[in-house]
Amino acid sequence: MRAAVLAMALALAPAGANAAEPPGASACSGCHTASRALDSAVPPIAGRPRDELAAALRAFRANERPSTVMGRLARGFDLAELDVLAAWFAADRLR
Amino acid sequence: MTPGPLRPSPRAKQRDAGGSRDFPIRREAAGSDTRRPTLGDGPFSAPMDPREGLHRSREHGGVARRHVLGVAAVALAAPWVRRAAAAEARVVVAGGGFAGATAARTLKRLAPALQVTLVEPEAVYTACPFSNAVIAGLRDMEGQRFGYTALRREGIEVVHRAARGLDGTMRALELDDGTRLSFQRLVLAPGIDLGFDALPGYDPAAAEILPHAWRAGAQTLLLRRQLEAMDEGGTVVMSVPANPFRCPPGPYERASLIAHFLKLRKPRAKLLILDAKDIFSKQRLFQQEWARLYPGLIEWVGLSKGGKVTSVDAGARTLVTEFGRHQGQVVNVIPPQRAGLLAERCGVADRSLWCPVDPLTFESRRVPGVHVVGDAAIMGAMPKSAFAANAQAKIAAAAIVALLSGRPPAEPRPLNTCYSLTAPDRAISIAGVYRPLGGQLADVPGAGGVSPLDADDSFRAQEAVYADAWFRTIAHETFG
Amino acid sequence: MANVLVSAPKQARAGEIVEIRTLASHPMETGFRAGTNGTLIPRDIVREFSCSYGGVTVFRMELSPAIAANPYIAFHLRARETGPIVLRWTGDNGFSVEETVTLQVA
Repeated sequence: MRAAVLAMALALAPAGANAAEPPGASACSGCHTASRALDSAVPPIAGRPRDELAAALRAFRANERPSTVMGRLARGFDLAELDVLAAWFAADRLR
Repeated sequence: MTPGPLRPSPRAKQRDAGGSRDFPIRREAAGSDTRRPTLGDGPFSAPMDPREGLHRSREHGGVARRHVLGVAAVALAAPWVRRAAAAEARVVVAGGGFAGATAARTLKRLAPALQVTLVEPEAVYTACPFSNAVIAGLRDMEGQRFGYTALRREGIEVVHRAARGLDGTMRALELDDGTRLSFQRLVLAPGIDLGFDALPGYDPAAAEILPHAWRAGAQTLLLRRQLEAMDEGGTVVMSVPANPFRCPPGPYERASLIAHFLKLRKPRAKLLILDAKDIFSKQRLFQQEWARLYPGLIEWVGLSKGGKVTSVDAGARTLVTEFGRHQGQVVNVIPPQRAGLLAERCGVADRSLWCPVDPLTFESRRVPGVHVVGDAAIMGAMPKSAFAANAQAKIAAAAIVALLSGRPPAEPRPLNTCYSLTAPDRAISIAGVYRPLGGQLADVPGAGGVSPLDADDSFRAQEAVYADAWFRTIAHETFG
Repeated sequence: MANVLVSAPKQARAGEIVEIRTLASHPMETGFRAGTNGTLIPRDIVREFSCSYGGVTVFRMELSPAIAANPYIAFHLRARETGPIVLRWTGDNGFSVEETVTLQVA
C-alpha cells in the first residue's frame, strides 16, 4: 500500500516542474497566452528574461509604467511575490 | 400583485459589504474559516465502492487501452515509475464550459497519468462572452462556438451525456443512461440555470417571446432578430436582476451595444433598463459612456426608483414593477439565476441555491471529494465571469493533483479581469485580486478596480483590443 | 439624498378601498455588519413610517434592522372624503421625508 501511494505521488507530480507554482501564476495565461500557436495583442510572458519581467511588474505596481489592468493586478502582490512570479515565467516555456 | 398591508415586501438584502464593488460578499456562507477535514487527503483514504471495479470494466470497454496509454504517459512524466497504480486514479469533470473544460485540460497537463473524464451533454459549447456583440450584429455566432476535439486529442475522455447526480456511494457520477462514472474526485462546473420560478409569468414559453439571451445560443439570435425587425421608433425594455448573477457587468454591456445598434439603425428608438439594484458593476463608467455615446437614448431605472420587475406579462410584451407597467416592442428579460440544476442534484447547493466551497481548494462545503468551480460556486468577492471560471478551474485542478498525491494544496491568489464593450471599438474593464480570508475569497486591499473615468479615446480603444485578445486567448486555453 | 416613490389613486368613490404603495430609497444599515476595516458600521435605518388621511393617523409602522434596504410598504385605506394623504418616514441620523398626495372622493 505504501509503495502504491508513493508511486501515485510520483506519477502525479507536476510534469517538468521542480518548484511549486507561485500564487497567482496560473491566472496569467487567461490573457498572456501560454501557446505558441496563438498570435495576440497581449504579449506572451513565458520564457521572457527574468529581470525584464521583474522590472515591468514592479513598475506596474508602483504606477510608474502606464497600463490598463496590469497596475491594478500587480498591486495584489508584494515585491517579493512579484519577483517569484517573474522567475517562474522566465523559467516557463510556450507550449 | 398581492399587497401585503402590514409588512414591507420580503426583498432580499441587496447591498454588498464592500459598498460599490461589483460583487457582494455572501454573508450566509461566511463565518467558519476552519477547513474541514476532506476525504481523500491521501489518495486512497476515500472509501472505495466495492462495485467500482465492476462498473469500470463493464462500462468502459476501452479501459485496457487507456490503461496502457496511461502507463506510457507516466513513463514520459517520470521514467522511474513503473507501477500502474497511478493510472487507476480518475477525476470526473461535469460541465464543459470555461470552468469545466479548463479543469479537465489542466488536470491532464499537470498529471498526464490521471484518467480524466469530461461529461457534457452538448457536442458544441456556445460561449457567452462577446455574445452581446452578436446580439448587436457586430459579430457572427460562429465565433462563439467551440468543440472538444483538442481535449480528446490530449487523452481526456469526453462523454456527451447529461449527468443525473451522485450515486448512493457519493463516489460515482450517474449519467442519464444509467452509466456510473466512479471517481476519486469530482469537479462540478454546472454553470447557471435560469430561475424561471423566481419571476412570475416568465417561463421557457415566455422566453420565446421575451428572450433572456443569458445562455448563449438560439436565444442570442432570437434577440438579434427581434431588434433587427423592430420599428424605427420602437422601445426596447430590459429587466436586470438583483445580485448574484452571471456576468455582473453583462447587462450594461448589452445595453451599450443595443444602443449602438439603435443609434445606427433605428435612430428614434429608446432603451429602458429596469433594474432590481441601485448599484451595478462599472456603473459610473457605463453611465459616462452612455451620456457621451448615446445621449438621451438609454434610460436606467434603479431599485429605489421602482425598477424592480415583479412579474412578466409575455402576451402583452409588458414588464410589471411595483409602480407601473412597461411595454416594449422588444423585451429582454434577464431573470434571477441559480447554480445549474446538477449542483442541487448532487447536494452541493445550499439554501441560496448556489454552492459554498472551501476557498483553498474549491471543495464543496457540503459534499467531500466534490469541487465546484465557475458560476455555480459562491466565491466571495470574486465575480461570476469566464475569466474567474478559468482561473478557479486551474486552481482546483492543481489542488486536486496535490491532494491525490498526498501534498498540501498551495494557497491560491486568484485574479479576475473582465472587459465590457461600450461600442465596437471601446471597452472598459474591472480587475481584482483575491485571497482566502475568513473562509471566503476576499479582495486583496489596494489591488483591483475599474478603468479610470474620463480616460481618453485611445485608452478605451486599447482596452477593446485587449478585450478581443483576452477572448481569443482564454477560448484557446479552454478549448484549444 | 432622500427620495421616495408613492403610488396612490387620484380619485375614488366614497367607501371604496384604495391601495397606497410606497418605496423609500434607504440603505437600512443594520448596525450589525463589519465594514472593510473590521469595525461595525453604525446603524442607519428608517424607524417609523406613518400615514395620515384628513388629519387622522390611519396607518403606522415601526421598522427594525431586519427590514431590507429600500423598504417597500403597501397598505389599503377606505376613501371617506376628499383630503390630503400625508406619508412620513423618520429614522436614524435625522432621516425625515414627507410626501403628500390628495385623494378626491366623489
